[in-house]
Amino acid sequence: MNLPRLLLSTTVALALGVAVALGVHSATLLSLLTQAAIHAIFALGVGLLLRQNGMVSFGHALFFGAAGYVVAILLRVKAVPAETAMLLAVLGSTAFAFLIGLVIVRVPGIAFGMLTLAIGQMAYLGASRSRGLTGGADGISVEWPSALFGMPTATLLQPWAMLLLAWSVLVLVLLMLALLLRGHFGALTEATRDNEERARFIGIRTLLPRATVYALSAGITSLAGVLAALNTGFVSPESLHWSLSGVALMMVVVGGTRVLWGPALGAAVYFLAKDLLGDHAQHWMAIFGVALIVVIVFAPTGLSGLLLRLVRASPGGAAPRPGV
Amino acid sequence: MSDYVLQTEDVAVHYGGVRAVDGVEITLQRGQIRGLIGPNGSGKSTVIDAITGRRRLTRGKVLLRGEDVNAMGIVERRRRGLSRSFQRTSIFGQMPVRKQVELASSMMGSADPGADADEVLRELSLDTRGATIAADLGYGEQRRLDLAIALAGRPAVLLLDEPMAGLSMRESLDLARHLKALTARREVSVLLVEHDMDVVFGISDVVTVFELGRVIAAGTPAEVRANARVREAYLGSAA
Repeated sequence: MNLPRLLLSTTVALALGVAVALGVHSATLLSLLTQAAIHAIFALGVGLLLRQNGMVSFGHALFFGAAGYVVAILLRVKAVPAETAMLLAVLGSTAFAFLIGLVIVRVPGIAFGMLTLAIGQMAYLGASRSRGLTGGADGISVEWPSALFGMPTATLLQPWAMLLLAWSVLVLVLLMLALLLRGHFGALTEATRDNEERARFIGIRTLLPRATVYALSAGITSLAGVLAALNTGFVSPESLHWSLSGVALMMVVVGGTRVLWGPALGAAVYFLAKDLLGDHAQHWMAIFGVALIVVIVFAPTGLSGLLLRLVRASPGGAAPRPGV
Repeated sequence: MSDYVLQTEDVAVHYGGVRAVDGVEITLQRGQIRGLIGPNGSGKSTVIDAITGRRRLTRGKVLLRGEDVNAMGIVERRRRGLSRSFQRTSIFGQMPVRKQVELASSMMGSADPGADADEVLRELSLDTRGATIAADLGYGEQRRLDLAIALAGRPAVLLLDEPMAGLSMRESLDLARHLKALTARREVSVLLVEHDMDVVFGISDVVTVFELGRVIAAGTPAEVRANARVREAYLGSAA
């Protein structure tokens, strides 16, 4: 996608967010859409790692939950203003991920996934048992100040405003990724993902790009964690649990990674299914699991890949290339 | 300053007690093509791996433009102008053709990687395939892409490990023709490991023959063809 088209798409998407936030009056629907948007950001983080590094993380909830805990703890001890706490949560997660990334991205395949699982579960157990700091298994409430970014917090927490915020962050993260990956960094990471040995033989130091992608994916996930903490005003060890990482991974698989927005589509489908199926079936996850198997078998590139194929096959349809 | 672009001095690579190559001395002048021939397992590919840093030397030296590169890793050697292709096609499967050649060129510090990529692709008759995802190319085109990646950025030395492997006779001859013209135009020196004797004797300026990890003969194609030991050990009736 060329730059003018990308900027136009971003503007349209932002305008769509405004229209939905102001046009929908059901608080339940607004809340559902907000959750979907926040988890779409989470899934983007996980999807970025798969798309650019070819790596599967079973422990990305670490960054989602830890970001919420950092904000909650910093606000509880009144160490820094809330805006700074949010920034520190994202930057801290990103920096931490970069440092551990320098070690763990060297590990190939399933072993990498197991390492991320182990690190994530260590954090989960740590948060569950550090009652004094994290509230233990009961979790911890986030004491937001009365104003955030110059706005009354009560206004910001209105369902329409939360949706607008989460959606805007999602769209801007997508824009940032699209701009970043269309350049040299995107080519470096794609080459490293496709054929690491050959990448070294064309002069690429492969460790740094891989660790950077891991850090970037953690940073995006932590952004989702901060938004979730803002949305719910509460953080618990469940936000660090591997099952949440698994849900994000499911969203990525359902949405696909051929295009950047694939994981976000997966998140939307997940929440839609949760809402529709949850009304009719207690064990809706079992039905979603079957849907997941169907996607893996019949559309291995995910729903976004399927959509691309349908567009390509349609009369007069352009031949979109994998990309943004 | 050495007259040679590439020089190996007493290179040995041992795997435990097994001597894969031993006492190998090879020189390469600017613009020269040196063919490396020998039976399977005679050490040709190991020499290429040792020169490019993929295998650690047990003994000896590798000099690139007179500079000892033994302590350097793969990336440093490449950035100093040492490039290679692989026995099995090694490309970036999910990337468009032009993008990967441009990337390879930019990593060598080309002033205009896009123009360099276009030139290499044109010279290898891949210019119409620039936007194609590499995995969608035919096998012969993938072999040429492998070569294009190695040639991008104007390396000083190119080490080609069986570039004709798996190609039909016609494709081999076609690629050999491209290779000869390209290396002359780009003034790149080439070490060519290849089992297709027509190709090796057709485009090499000099030929080195390996047997059991050692060099048993070296010289012009005519001298090597006439060498009794080479005929006995390797060429046989093919000569």
